[in-house]
Amino acid sequence: MLGLILIALVVVVAIVGPWLAPYTPNDQSAMLSFAAHGAPSWAHPFGTDRNGYDVLTRVIYGAPTALAVGLGAMLVASLIGILVGGVAGYLGGLADELLMRLTEFFLVIPVFVMILAVVRLFGVVVVGTWLESVPFLNLSTIVLLLGIFGWPPIARLARAEFLRLKGMDFVEAARCIGAQPRDILFRHILPNALPSLAVVIALGIGGAILAESMISFLGFGDPKAISWGQLLYFNYQVLRVSPWAVLAPGTAIFITVLGFNLLADGLSDAFNPRLKQ
Amino acid sequence: MTDLLTVDGLKVHFFTQSGVAPAVDGIDFAIRPRETLGLVGESGSGKTMASLAVLRLVPPPARIVGGSLHFQGRDLLALDNAAMRGLRGSSIAMIFQNPAFSLNPILTIGAQLIEILRWHEHLSHAAARDRAAELLRLVGIADPVHRMRQFPHELSGGMKQRICIARALLCNPALILADEPTTNLDVTIQAQILDLLEDLRERLHMAMLLVSHDMGLVARMAHRITVVYAGRTCETADVRTIFHAPLHPYTRALLDSAPRIDRDYEHQAHPTLRTIAGRIPDLAAPPSGCRFHPRCPEATADCARLRPEPVQVAPGHIVSCLLRGSPGVPDVGVPGLGVSP
Repeated sequence: MLGLILIALVVVVAIVGPWLAPYTPNDQSAMLSFAAHGAPSWAHPFGTDRNGYDVLTRVIYGAPTALAVGLGAMLVASLIGILVGGVAGYLGGLADELLMRLTEFFLVIPVFVMILAVVRLFGVVVVGTWLESVPFLNLSTIVLLLGIFGWPPIARLARAEFLRLKGMDFVEAARCIGAQPRDILFRHILPNALPSLAVVIALGIGGAILAESMISFLGFGDPKAISWGQLLYFNYQVLRVSPWAVLAPGTAIFITVLGFNLLADGLSDAFNPRLKQ
Repeated sequence: MTDLLTVDGLKVHFFTQSGVAPAVDGIDFAIRPRETLGLVGESGSGKTMASLAVLRLVPPPARIVGGSLHFQGRDLLALDNAAMRGLRGSSIAMIFQNPAFSLNPILTIGAQLIEILRWHEHLSHAAARDRAAELLRLVGIADPVHRMRQFPHELSGGMKQRICIARALLCNPALILADEPTTNLDVTIQAQILDLLEDLRERLHMAMLLVSHDMGLVARMAHRITVVYAGRTCETADVRTIFHAPLHPYTRALLDSAPRIDRDYEHQAHPTLRTIAGRIPDLAAPPSGCRFHPRCPEATADCARLRPEPVQVAPGHIVSCLLRGSPGVPDVGVPGLGVSP
């Protein structure tokens, strides 16, 4: 329940943010009046950071980025994971063996280092090509990579669920009635597998947001996209001068990730029949 | 009268890593239009596999490796997958052992019934809904429109089995395969469901294959009975002959081990309920010759060596036993036994 409230808060902020924010996100005018590193005040409720940005505005504009990263990465991961796991579980045999070894291969790749390397290399490669003009190219790359390396846990669970469900009597009954394989997969097996998959996906969203923050914190993020990790990156060196500039985005990350983890907990309790009553 | 379904020498083998297990190794039976055939045997005798094989739906790692299946004159083993799918549910329908698990828990009853009619009969949604409601009324569900909006967990076990029966009947099948349809129900509900099945079979001119281990149930429902043991047919005859003049030693033993209400087990002639000595054989390494010979009280040396072929001893009475006149063929064992696929 608390998880839902926290997530609802983030979502509402992300949607109404542009009307809520007191300044435009790229307004650095505080620099001109020597108001950078400004402590929280009525004019700047969360203070200003070393670049003269209004911290509250930047935190608000960071919410849609975080959600886009979390949902986008998990969308990619779910598509790959359910496809790979579902095929492995449903077909079994050699297909299962091969796909699960592939999953394990992806599981042992040091994802973080990989993403940093790819993001940096890609950033160099695109210079001078048409790709350069694609908006948020860097952020999209990160989302895609988080998705491409985030699917193994989903695939493993999807495999287990498909394996369990394909032997269930109602699936057998559907087959005996003459159902097409398509109906069996998408009408009988997948919807019954979704509850447990939703738990892993909710956890994954929080994980992806955290991962993007870490990437941005290391300075590999998208310079054009406003993200909480990037705020930390800009301001961690002045932690002792203006701690609010770091505390605010840090707290935002904390609330969002906690929200998704609590949601995952709540979902797994809600779907667990043994805990009912 | 021509047979509706003929199963001849059906073989279903399990291909496991430790070798080939012949779960069904030569089962024959035939069902005539509008009759109920009881397929009786112990657990693991291959009776469920045989009924799934009729739909060509034996679960992997099992495969149909031999024999022939003819339904309404068509060779089922020669049909392509699409034609077989068209047959399942519309001409041959199945009722399962456990109604609690044979309905999709997250779809309403109505949705599950309507989708079948839309696949097989290409009815409009409204027409399919009306037909489903009509069928539910036919199986004795009082308020079908309301029930169709409910989910399986909101219904009782007996109710669910009625819905499974309705689902099987949706497309007017010629043959119903009922795999222990009442095993998981209360005794009172069992009687109701059996009456319902019998009544519907009569009214809708269907034939039924009743798979069961319960001699009493089969005696009540079936016109003819096929007894199977360890994947092979022992004896086929009409119900009267099976109960009054059984020939195969296994049929006799099976009947002796069923408790009867007209016998006084505490005194007099039958001091205890007789059982069949030994255990059902391990199907990965079945005994040679007649499968029943290690447990058979009449077994001779030949029984371990020769495989009995079915022989007709009287019109409609077929027995596979060397001592009842079956010709024996040297048993070469299962081809491919012990070889991984």
